[in-house]
Amino acid sequence: MTVALQSLRKFKGVAVAITLGAIGLSLFAGIWTWASAHLGNDVLLPSPLSVLSTYAELIADGSLAKDIGASIFRVFAGFSIASTIAVPLALVLAYSRILRGLVMPLIALIRPIPPIAWIPLAILWMGLGDPPSYFITSIAAFFPIFLNAFAGGTSLQQEHVNAARSLGAGPFALLTKVMLPSALPMIVTGLRIGLGQAWMAVVTAELIAAQSGLGYMIQISRLSLETSRVLVGMTVIGLLGAVMIGSLGVLERRFIVPWNYPR
Amino acid sequence: MARGVSPIHQRADYIETAPTGPAPHLHVVDPVPSHAQQKPRLSLDGVTVNFGARAVSAVQDVSLTIGAGEFVALLGPSGCGKSTLLNVMAGFCTPVQGRVLLDGEPLTGPSAKCGVVFQKHSLFPWMTALDNVAFGPRRLGLTNARQIAQDLLDIVGLAHVANEWPASLSGGMQQRVGIARALATRPPVLLMDEPFGALDAQTRSLMQEELLSIWDKLRPTVVFVTHDIEEAIFLADRVVVMQTYPGRIAREFAIDIPRPRSAEVLNDHAFIERRREITDVIRVEARKTFR
Ligand SMILES: Nc1ncnc2c1ncn2[C@@H]1O[C@H](COP(=O)(O)OP(=O)(O)OP(=O)(O)O)[C@@H](O)[C@H]1O
Ligand SMILES: [Mg+2]
Repeated sequence: MTVALQSLRKFKGVAVAITLGAIGLSLFAGIWTWASAHLGNDVLLPSPLSVLSTYAELIADGSLAKDIGASIFRVFAGFSIASTIAVPLALVLAYSRILRGLVMPLIALIRPIPPIAWIPLAILWMGLGDPPSYFITSIAAFFPIFLNAFAGGTSLQQEHVNAARSLGAGPFALLTKVMLPSALPMIVTGLRIGLGQAWMAVVTAELIAAQSGLGYMIQISRLSLETSRVLVGMTVIGLLGAVMIGSLGVLERRFIVPWNYPR
Repeated sequence: MARGVSPIHQRADYIETAPTGPAPHLHVVDPVPSHAQQKPRLSLDGVTVNFGARAVSAVQDVSLTIGAGEFVALLGPSGCGKSTLLNVMAGFCTPVQGRVLLDGEPLTGPSAKCGVVFQKHSLFPWMTALDNVAFGPRRLGLTNARQIAQDLLDIVGLAHVANEWPASLSGGMQQRVGIARALATRPPVLLMDEPFGALDAQTRSLMQEELLSIWDKLRPTVVFVTHDIEEAIFLADRVVVMQTYPGRIAREFAIDIPRPRSAEVLNDHAFIERRREITDVIRVEARKTFR
């Protein structure tokens, strides 16, 4: 009975959240419609309806799917490269004082350089096409992943190590049953932020250094003054980014680190 | 408390886990009166611990010999070095001077021979209560680790939260899971750092009796840290009173109240007499610190 009551309450909460969100979005669409009617210029600001019809067009001719696919592939490539390097490196540095002293100053110096500043080098080294985009997205994803994983590694509590050792844990069990799980919540947070950064960076990279993808699509539509296509690109980026980060958040709470979110 | 649950040591499934013949992690029960000093299990010889560049040692020149199966309570004011001394016995912390012998061998580090109940929350947050308790048995390769864990959770009255995360348990419940976890490997030495400090008076008194009954059956060597004079006298064969700045042993008291003890002994003449003596010593020590 209490379970039923609880799920009812939860359902109510979800319903309220959805209603409020829908009201907020409709208000925004209303203001947008009004503004575009007021301006009366489709190049400056097309109406939401004309953006929707451009959506239909681009979906029908399959070009939107192609651009989305290209961008997503680049993001996952860069994100995978970044996490494969950042997570192990961060954990090793968290546990080794000497390596930490050796590498951390370098990281502190490279970190403030925005991903976009790497584009000239990336193009010089790799030419136009996919590789510079992998490079830029992995640079963007690397630092949040690295810094969070490092914080996760250093958050290891001596009590947990002591408890494990007094219960007969050897070095391997200590690593897999204590050190990794204790760093995991921060690692996952880093991955979530890193994915968001990579997604933003891929558009930047494609604006300049690629010949496909959402960023490229926005760029050529700007040149041909097809502003409603630009807006399609922008809204797709927003939508997909929110979905990606949101679903990673759900995975995190439900399956990866459920102990951090006890009901 | 799960009354009506038979104590773990009486169950066939638990006993069966014990290999026949001497096993390093299992304590063989000696049928000798507990307060009789037999071969020393744990001995500290002139142990001194410093932290950083502090002028005063946290623990200074402590010598203490604890017999196999003996129940020793470590009593003293906050900050006198009780936890530090316990960490030395557990092998977590190496003294700058002196040595520690476990069964006559120099202690090299923590091992499953010394079970530890920690003062502060030390459950693994990423494991359920049950998996926390089963952690030790699993490391020892026992195939019925899960069953052992379930039985111990039963004993500490927490069978119903076996599958909960530690974060959703109250402080006192977490502490009881911690006790079950330390008992799960049946360590010959059990080091307990204010294990009942977070419990309410009722649960605390039940847990004290439960601890005594477990101890009576398994006869581990217990070092039990507490602030509580009555708790120390009620549980222990010997009460070691520590003083502070630097942490040292002030006095020791043999507690010859016959066992088994129940809550009634709190009104016995012998009990009250001991409490008065120990309170006097502690008062003198406390006064020294404030001067
Ligand atoms: N890791 C540490 N670093 C520096 N000083 C420490 C450390 N651990 C303990 N100390 C110091 O050593 C002394 C003894 O501390 P300890 O924790 O052993 O006291 P305690 O008797 O267990 O106190 P309580 O009853 O409050 O738990 C204190 O002065 C404390 O400040
Ligand atoms: Mg303490």
